[in-house]
Amino acid sequence: MDINRRQLLLAGGAIGATALLAACSSGAEDTDTAPAGGNKPKSGGTLRVGALGRASAITRDPHGTQANESDYLILALVYDTLTIPGANPNTKPRLAASWEPSADLKTWKFKIAKGAAFHDGSPVTADDVVWSLKRLRNTPSGAARLPGIKPENIRAEGTDTVVLVSDYANAELPLLTRLTTFVLKKGTAEKALEKAPGTGPFKLDWFRGGNARLVKNDKWYGGAVHLDAIEVTMFETPQAMANALLAGQIDVASNAGAVAARTAASRKDIQVLRRPNDMAMPIVMRTASGPFADVRVREAMRLVVDRDAMVKQVLSGYGTVANDIMGTGDPHLAKDIPQRKKDLATAKSLLAEAKFDLSKTYDLVTTEDIPGLAESATLFANQAREAGIKIKVVKQESGAFWDKTWKNGDFYTTYWGTNDSVIFFASKTMVSEAGQNEAGWADKEFDASYLKVIGTADETARAAALKELQQIEFAKSGYLLWGMADGIDLAASKVQNLPKLAGYGRVQLENVWLR
Amino acid sequence: MLVVLLAVVFAAVEVLPGDAASASSERGDSAADVAARRHLLGLDRPLWERFWDWMTALPTGDLGTSARGQNVTELLADPFPNTLLLGASAFVITVVLSLALGCWAAARPGRLVDRIVGHTATAAFAVPEFVISVLLLLVLSLWTGWLPAVTVTGADGSPATWTMLIMPVLALVVPQTGWNTRIVRGALADQAATPHVEAAYLDGLPTLQVLLRHALPGAVPTIATGIATSTGMLLGGAVVVETLFNYPGIGSVLAGAVAARDTPLIAGVVICAGAVISLILLAADLIRARALGARA
Repeated sequence: MDINRRQLLLAGGAIGATALLAACSSGAEDTDTAPAGGNKPKSGGTLRVGALGRASAITRDPHGTQANESDYLILALVYDTLTIPGANPNTKPRLAASWEPSADLKTWKFKIAKGAAFHDGSPVTADDVVWSLKRLRNTPSGAARLPGIKPENIRAEGTDTVVLVSDYANAELPLLTRLTTFVLKKGTAEKALEKAPGTGPFKLDWFRGGNARLVKNDKWYGGAVHLDAIEVTMFETPQAMANALLAGQIDVASNAGAVAARTAASRKDIQVLRRPNDMAMPIVMRTASGPFADVRVREAMRLVVDRDAMVKQVLSGYGTVANDIMGTGDPHLAKDIPQRKKDLATAKSLLAEAKFDLSKTYDLVTTEDIPGLAESATLFANQAREAGIKIKVVKQESGAFWDKTWKNGDFYTTYWGTNDSVIFFASKTMVSEAGQNEAGWADKEFDASYLKVIGTADETARAAALKELQQIEFAKSGYLLWGMADGIDLAASKVQNLPKLAGYGRVQLENVWLR
Repeated sequence: MLVVLLAVVFAAVEVLPGDAASASSERGDSAADVAARRHLLGLDRPLWERFWDWMTALPTGDLGTSARGQNVTELLADPFPNTLLLGASAFVITVVLSLALGCWAAARPGRLVDRIVGHTATAAFAVPEFVISVLLLLVLSLWTGWLPAVTVTGADGSPATWTMLIMPVLALVVPQTGWNTRIVRGALADQAATPHVEAAYLDGLPTLQVLLRHALPGAVPTIATGIATSTGMLLGGAVVVETLFNYPGIGSVLAGAVAARDTPLIAGVVICAGAVISLILLAADLIRARALGARA
């Protein structure tokens, strides 16, 4: 898992000049997708991109902890991962052109794309990939980044095939290779990391203090790159980034957030791009113990929330209503499960049945790590009052929250900035032994269903199993997922074909061109 | 003094919830991973021991290693000169402006100009840097398009054009000029009441000459002290202003370091800022000593 909470923290802050400006402007234009343009991509030009980051957290290590979006963006343009996020299917080839599982779904063979070469001209070999994956696996977070794959079970077969052997059957293994499986040359020294050649669509021209200039890789195996260069400027706050865009100093403000979007909505020359299913901010209810251990209480909480109002007020309307199933970007999301709606009567009777103590006040713990998170808790507390449930919102400082409340609290907010699949969230946060089982949920039926999904090779059978898994999750899990926030990028009107995918889909800038 | 300050910094970071190991961990890290990193960072050693190690390495110019394993001296090598440039520009302009305004007002005691300068100075000092910054941004950049809204750096790590310095400097200059103008005006008023200045007036010398030749020299010690205290406020204000204008200084380093509980990095910033402030205070003391000595 590469989404790190501090990465998301960077989207924080929502006051200042942009807010002021918003108050001074009128009119609105909202573009859901980049204008098609209708014409053929044009070559040339330099794209100036703003991305959030902090000077103290800069990293140049492709396998390090990338707390800065700016760093991740630069690394993702210079290096390639084995696979990348897609819309449908949600895993698409990149450095790995194709992959093939064994019958038991434990052994996976990835074939390296033909013509893939490092910026210095040398071809990418299986040895390079193996070395890189092992290096990634041996980082402190390695076990979480490549779960189920021991370093010794990563090996090369010939010059162009990489074999990964999982400890258990895993039909979703290629999904794991989407995030930071950046490939470097075998034996790259720690000291040479900063200038190490990558295989990506852009080559590093210079890097200084979080800012960088990248130039086009003419020989990229992935196809023609339209831009001549990309300049990345690191911004500490979304408002400074939005100001830079409004003043014409940058062409794209990556992940600028809803406040900046409202500001820019009045400007005809600026596109507001929404990437749906970008961020989940669910409320976690502890299932193992405490007042929410009763499944009827959890159901009641899910019936108390007014999802439309949450999306409208917490996300300024930049989002969609969700149905308590994590992984909404998954093409296999069970959309036929009826949408849960506010139903106070049922909620009240469920609470009575469960003998939920309505005389007590319950703490809902939250942090201000990302915009809207604490607000979502407050709004939910107000809505719950209608059902006679007394909730006190407790705001915790980020460090204390992650140290003490996360994974332990009875009732708290969390967030995940990713569009990863239903099964990804199931494996990370819901199966009994999951390392990040936020709600302390242990459900035999769910575990069995999970093993069935990842252990089933047949597509149709797996889809059926996946639906069953989602039904269990919908009915019983510890999550109240009321909605999904859009990822919002702002761009000058000349910028065409920006990525539309949620989460880390946004770093794929190789198809962008300038009108 | 600086040692005490640094000890306080170390202790303060210690009492914040979480530490550098947990702050730099990813969601996927297990407790064992965090413990391993804690050991790697030496966070399992007593506070005084870490402080001692850091302090003893200091004379060699070694500011230690950040929580992310980078050399603190290197981390500060780009941003600190940028902050110095910002602070020094603001400092010089503040000194010139407040001397000019203070003298101008003092030359017309009690008159309209004096009152306007006095009230404006008070108001300017009362307005926080971020309010001024936002106003400057709106007017000078987003509405008129005269100046770039934020700082973009070039390949050498410094602002791409000098125009990017104007707004951050102005945002720092306005409140500090307010502060120092009042000090200059006050010091000159005190001097105006001394016998030798009164005598000069009575001799019929021109006002300006009396001000510059007779009143100002006596006011210098007070003014020097006042301006020296400005240094701390300038550097403090720079942290805020840098964030708003995306200026690549130590402000953003410090903010991130506090969030990451990165004690060596925070201490590194403190010692750099502390050194600058100490130097300016020393200079002010020397000026005072000289001015007083000359008259003794």
